[in-house]
Amino acid sequence: MTYLSFIKTEFLVLWRRKQDVFNALLFFIIVVVLFPLGVNPSSDFLAPAADGIIWCATVLAILMAIEGMFKEDYTDGSLEQLVISGLSLSLLMLLKTTAQWLAVLLPLLLMMPLLAEMLYLPDGSFWVLIVTLVIGTPSLFLIGSIGAALTVSLKQGAMLVMLLMLPFYLPVIIFATSAVRAAQLGLPYLGLLAMLLAVFLLSLVIAPFMTAIAIKASTN
Amino acid sequence: MSWTWFHKLGSPKWFFHWSKSLALPLFGFGCICLLFGLVWGVAFAPEDYQQGNSFRIIYIHVPAAILAQSCYLALGLSGLVFLVWQMKIAPIFIKAVAPVGAVMALMALVSGAIWGKPTWGTWWVWDARLTSVLVLFLLYMGIIALQNSLNDVTLANKAVAVISVVGLINLPIIKYSVEWWNTLHQGATFTLTEKPAMPAEMWVPLLISTIGLYCLVAGLALWRMQTEILIREHRSNWVKQEVMKDGL
Repeated sequence: MTYLSFIKTEFLVLWRRKQDVFNALLFFIIVVVLFPLGVNPSSDFLAPAADGIIWCATVLAILMAIEGMFKEDYTDGSLEQLVISGLSLSLLMLLKTTAQWLAVLLPLLLMMPLLAEMLYLPDGSFWVLIVTLVIGTPSLFLIGSIGAALTVSLKQGAMLVMLLMLPFYLPVIIFATSAVRAAQLGLPYLGLLAMLLAVFLLSLVIAPFMTAIAIKASTN
Repeated sequence: MSWTWFHKLGSPKWFFHWSKSLALPLFGFGCICLLFGLVWGVAFAPEDYQQGNSFRIIYIHVPAAILAQSCYLALGLSGLVFLVWQMKIAPIFIKAVAPVGAVMALMALVSGAIWGKPTWGTWWVWDARLTSVLVLFLLYMGIIALQNSLNDVTLANKAVAVISVVGLINLPIIKYSVEWWNTLHQGATFTLTEKPAMPAEMWVPLLISTIGLYCLVAGLALWRMQTEILIREHRSNWVKQEVMKDGL
């Protein structure tokens, strides 16, 4: 096994198990639809809240998707193979997380113009929202992979992953929605994007190693 | 500098015997200090010129909030110690302290809500400090939940250590992000670098009750750790001797 063959397999598995990704995306859509139905469908409410709704739905969808990230590999024993493969486990985890991220983010971005229109997101802030999603979601996946790895041996880990990971997601949500809001108000938002990027870089440095430790402990 | 004391901490047996005589005095001293500080603060300290008598809840609110943060710091550091040195005592410490820290965070939240009603006119505001203590409480609950759901001890040790370390790294980020997001709360009561803004008759009892709560929590933690050591080492000879010493 090489790194290249590993990432190829990852994408292949994701492609053949499309339904998992679809489920996360459908969940995202359901959450977004709930807000106009449950709170208020008028543009007075939706326009200023649109970025927050989209981000909350994204976080929930990612938590859904990430929980099962290692499940299959754990039950069929391929996680153990990864541990003893002689390759760097942290790097493998990083590659796996990247594959998962791309699989969820790309369709999410494709849906974004439609959803932004449905939620009356002000035109000027659309691209800022896209940028926050692109540089914000990697942190969510990286941090979330730690939680998924910690709970991989549990049958019902979904609720636990949410409880464990939600506090760590707060900074990302705050910086992302503040950036979009600042853009709506015509304030400078590059600083907030920089903070978002900083959180991403920090999680990039820490998360793969922590995930590898958790995987090693879980597979013993 | 000799590191023997540090290596000795790796042995549950040594730790058990060392801490046995320490827990009760610490706990007792803490109780007395806390009671002294509370009585002084509630009954004898001068009234606040702005908030009147309602400020007196500070004598329980601030110590609890400080302890909630300190417990998490200790949790994160011992998680790091476990990941680096594989010290057996570290996960025992985490397991013992996490529920205590959660109670402290809850106490800070509840007393803060009670204090908020007369001063801000509301039980809860989405203010930076309140939110970060709430997040701290959730972090504690996550650690406790993870600890309880993993049945395998070695895995639970590792998992809890990992999440504590990640939490320790993230806590400042969470705190500052929330701070920029919204701030209404008054500034910190105690800082190490500056003189407190309140008169001595007000902050001395606060300091005493804080020290008291620290000692109380330390004693409590040692007790809980001893119990956990006995449970985990129940197969070893020294535990059998220890338990049988006073007869069954």
